[in-house]
Amino acid sequence: MTITASTHTATGDREPSEPMKGRVKGRGPRPVGGLVGSTALWIYAIVALIPLLLMVANSFRSTSSLYSDPLGAPWPIKFDSYRKAWTEGHFGEYFTNSLLVTVGAVTLSTTVSTMAAYALARTRSRIFTTLEAVFISGLMLPIHLAILPIFYLLDGFGLVDSRLGLTLVYAASGVPFSIFVLTTFFRQLPPELEEAARIDGANSWQMFVRIMVPMVRPAVATVVVFRFVPIWNDFLFPLVLLRSREKYTVPVGLTTFFGEYATDWSSLFAGLVIATVPLIILFLVATKQIVAGLTAGMSK
Amino acid sequence: MNSNNRRHLTVLTLASAMVALAACSPSSSSSSSGGSGDSKNVTLSVWSWRTEDVAAYNAIFAVYTKAHPGTKVDFKAFKNTEYNLILTTGLAGSKGPDVAQVRSYGQLQPTIASKSLLPLDDVVDLSSWDANVVKSAKGKDDGKLYAVPLAQQTLQMFYNKDIFAKFALTPPTTWAEFMAVNTKLKAQGVTPMAVGAKDSWTLPMLHQVLAAPRFGAGAFEEAVTTGKTTFADPNWVASVDVVNKLKPYLPDSAVGVAYTDAQILFTSGKAAMFPGGSFELGFFQKQNPGLKMGVFEVPAPQGSPSMRPTTTGYADGAFGVSAKSDAQAASKDLVKWMSTKEFGQLVADKVKQLSAVPGVSYSDPLMKQMADNYAKNPTPYLLLVDFRYGTPSGTDLLGTGVQEMLLGKKDAAKISTDLQTGVSQWFKPTT
Amino acid sequence: MSRRSGLFFVAPALLLFGVFVLYPMASALSYAFFSWQGTTRGAFVGLENFVALFTQEPFTTQLPRAFGHNIAFFLGTMLIQNTLGLGIAVLLHKRARTRRMLQTLYAMPYLVSPIVIGYLWTLLLSPTFGPVNALLRKVGLESLALPWLGDPKTALWVVVLVSAWQWVGFPVLLYGAALGGVPEELSEAARVDGATHWQTFRSIVFPLLVPAIGTVSILTFIFSMEAFALPYAFGGSTGNPAGATDFISLLFYRTAFENGSTNAIGSSSAIAALLFVVIFGGAVVATRVLRRHQDRVAA
Repeated sequence: MTITASTHTATGDREPSEPMKGRVKGRGPRPVGGLVGSTALWIYAIVALIPLLLMVANSFRSTSSLYSDPLGAPWPIKFDSYRKAWTEGHFGEYFTNSLLVTVGAVTLSTTVSTMAAYALARTRSRIFTTLEAVFISGLMLPIHLAILPIFYLLDGFGLVDSRLGLTLVYAASGVPFSIFVLTTFFRQLPPELEEAARIDGANSWQMFVRIMVPMVRPAVATVVVFRFVPIWNDFLFPLVLLRSREKYTVPVGLTTFFGEYATDWSSLFAGLVIATVPLIILFLVATKQIVAGLTAGMSK
Repeated sequence: MNSNNRRHLTVLTLASAMVALAACSPSSSSSSSGGSGDSKNVTLSVWSWRTEDVAAYNAIFAVYTKAHPGTKVDFKAFKNTEYNLILTTGLAGSKGPDVAQVRSYGQLQPTIASKSLLPLDDVVDLSSWDANVVKSAKGKDDGKLYAVPLAQQTLQMFYNKDIFAKFALTPPTTWAEFMAVNTKLKAQGVTPMAVGAKDSWTLPMLHQVLAAPRFGAGAFEEAVTTGKTTFADPNWVASVDVVNKLKPYLPDSAVGVAYTDAQILFTSGKAAMFPGGSFELGFFQKQNPGLKMGVFEVPAPQGSPSMRPTTTGYADGAFGVSAKSDAQAASKDLVKWMSTKEFGQLVADKVKQLSAVPGVSYSDPLMKQMADNYAKNPTPYLLLVDFRYGTPSGTDLLGTGVQEMLLGKKDAAKISTDLQTGVSQWFKPTT
Repeated sequence: MSRRSGLFFVAPALLLFGVFVLYPMASALSYAFFSWQGTTRGAFVGLENFVALFTQEPFTTQLPRAFGHNIAFFLGTMLIQNTLGLGIAVLLHKRARTRRMLQTLYAMPYLVSPIVIGYLWTLLLSPTFGPVNALLRKVGLESLALPWLGDPKTALWVVVLVSAWQWVGFPVLLYGAALGGVPEELSEAARVDGATHWQTFRSIVFPLLVPAIGTVSILTFIFSMEAFALPYAFGGSTGNPAGATDFISLLFYRTAFENGSTNAIGSSSAIAALLFVVIFGGAVVATRVLRRHQDRVAA
């Protein structure tokens, strides 16, 4: 019984919805650290969140009360700073732009990278080994150092002050990391999968779409999550490549907002909250799917 | 095999289409920058770092449009800390400004060297202006004028009249009185001077406000720029030491206090004095309309070569015309208007800055006092005016140096020699 | 896969990456070999810009100092962020029920933009108005109410700690995945033999984690050398106070856009090239060492 049960825990999905949960809990070894460990984990979780909670709490107070009493409670709750930040801060526009650019960039980047990673993992050829090295070396390129040449490049294409230009730059910058992760995953898949499909007469593209991609879903999910956040939060490229305020993304809008409201702390906090909360909600909604697939795939 | 090929072709086509699309992406003004429209109707794009003054400038340019129908102005402001980066790309590529606010003195030189600005010697006549101010917009190498200076800033000590009244204090006229004011305030639990030493650029200004007479003010400028003396001069070192001696009267752990914190300390009444520039006035008034402020010149410290107090001044910001503008004539007209008294008066009234244009009258009593003080006892902001033409700049060196001094790591003599070593890398005295 | 098909699959990524990343990077590095008049390129000067980095002020003081800070940041992050991450990953390993919830909570700070983080912490740590020092004073820990961001001794460590706070989710996730790949039978067998959790970890789990640790370390190294957004948000482009939070990327930004030298692009591109060499060299060496270890373990 021990051996079969071990194989289950090594490869099985231990999500709470599993009917085996009761059996695992009662039968398996005690988790590391026991009660002390659990307490420590939760304490750190709370401590890690306090600054963010403070940010929210302070946004509900008036600026003068923030100066006179830094530790005061947010009562009575004031919404003035939110009204100010939203209307004068134009955050609705910025949010839409960020969404367009980030979703576009992540989609493009992941798509081309998945295709490339498949080829790199499955083709035996010196050219491809070199290509892979070229892609991976991109991980070591601090792209914001190339800001001027990128500006000139986009200028040549007529893509300055264009969200498309920004999307293309972001998509390109995500390629090394995505290929790095995806190639590893593709390599782990047994070659027999394709052999079986080829015998059935499928071509490369069909094999790719119908068999390989579903198998690397957790890796794709990882790549999406890890590219989405840095692209959403980048402020340097939109600053240089976008000129019209209505095209600004959230981080750029934030810096402009900070410039104007440098001492109006209450509105500042409200602006910070507005800039952060949508991403948190997005993340929570998305990771329900993503992390489930991730841990399931990883423990295989 | 057929469908295989087709799939591959689709992928390739999509990819190339993306790039092709990007390459011929429509840009309504394909290679122009800003100015669009036919010869009768022009929209000029004006860039600036004054995010705080957008409303004021829009009102000012509305006046221009009324007088010059057919010329509209689109005023855009970008955050100060990233403005240099944005301007560099703006002037180098397309879709940049027609008219741009540019930095002064040393910081203007790279822009000039990039050939991004048009010379304006034949467009405006600034012969009646303060020479130091005009210098701020000229090329160091060719001596040509590349921009019209916008504002004149003065440095002095702001003080809270209510707090002074509360402790029966009056603006000091001698150094002993100044020290007495500081001691009394500190004893009463009020921070005497609000200084945000975390932001090092405020520190050379502090040095000028507190101790310009101690190093010899204008006479010293003459000597150091012609090579007759250096920053190792004992008068200079003593002036830096004055700042050190006043450390107890700055906020606790001043190097941890940010510039914006210091502003708040003053406007909320927690600090009694604020050594700062005339550019603070509008902000202070908006932050706390009930604040009763005054300004005074800090008396000369003991041992100064001359006991006259001084008000430090320098030109701040100028407007130049982009060489890539396709509305050059209209742009030149605009900057020409910026050299008139009408524009200067509008700047004084709406933006609440001292205008670089001579002859402007100030309705705000404090602005008037600052302008008058400068007219009576002018001295240049030495490190900014003369020592920013290379790297490392004098202001950076002294700023970091004073931080180290306030932290107790170095003394006044050491940071003065550091300053001298730094600037001697590139500074050539004029004879 | 046939080479022809392979090329079709690789082409889009290659095109995108080549045009928008490789080509600009190569341009940026090539700028270092010329002298510049503002944004107009001048004559070819070979290694002159590089030599200037080692012989002229301000580079002779600022470059080594910034580099030292990058290294300190790397070591501090390894010590704090990655050790903490490993510990959390181990603790979370068997706690299936709460793992996802906790992972999400730990990852929250990662979602926040570095500018926001910089601003938030600057406001929270303000010695005059911030709640952190106010709290410390209230509970009687007056002596700890330091000017965190104003004292060069503490400022860098604040950046390290805040960065660790932000990124701890990354090692937690990666180590968690790696732990999931450790065969259960080995630890089971050890426990049956009477080994404690710690002994099991030390002799069995840890050696198997070395590849993951290697990957995390290399990525942390690259991240530390490139660090820009967070230090910029805290100390501005000059690395206040007194250059204590100056990093190489800040030096690059400052040199390129904020000083009065007309050769700004030349000097800053030389800094960029230097940084690239360091990152590339370090990562290649580390990868080679790692691969040799992996081969040894697999053998």
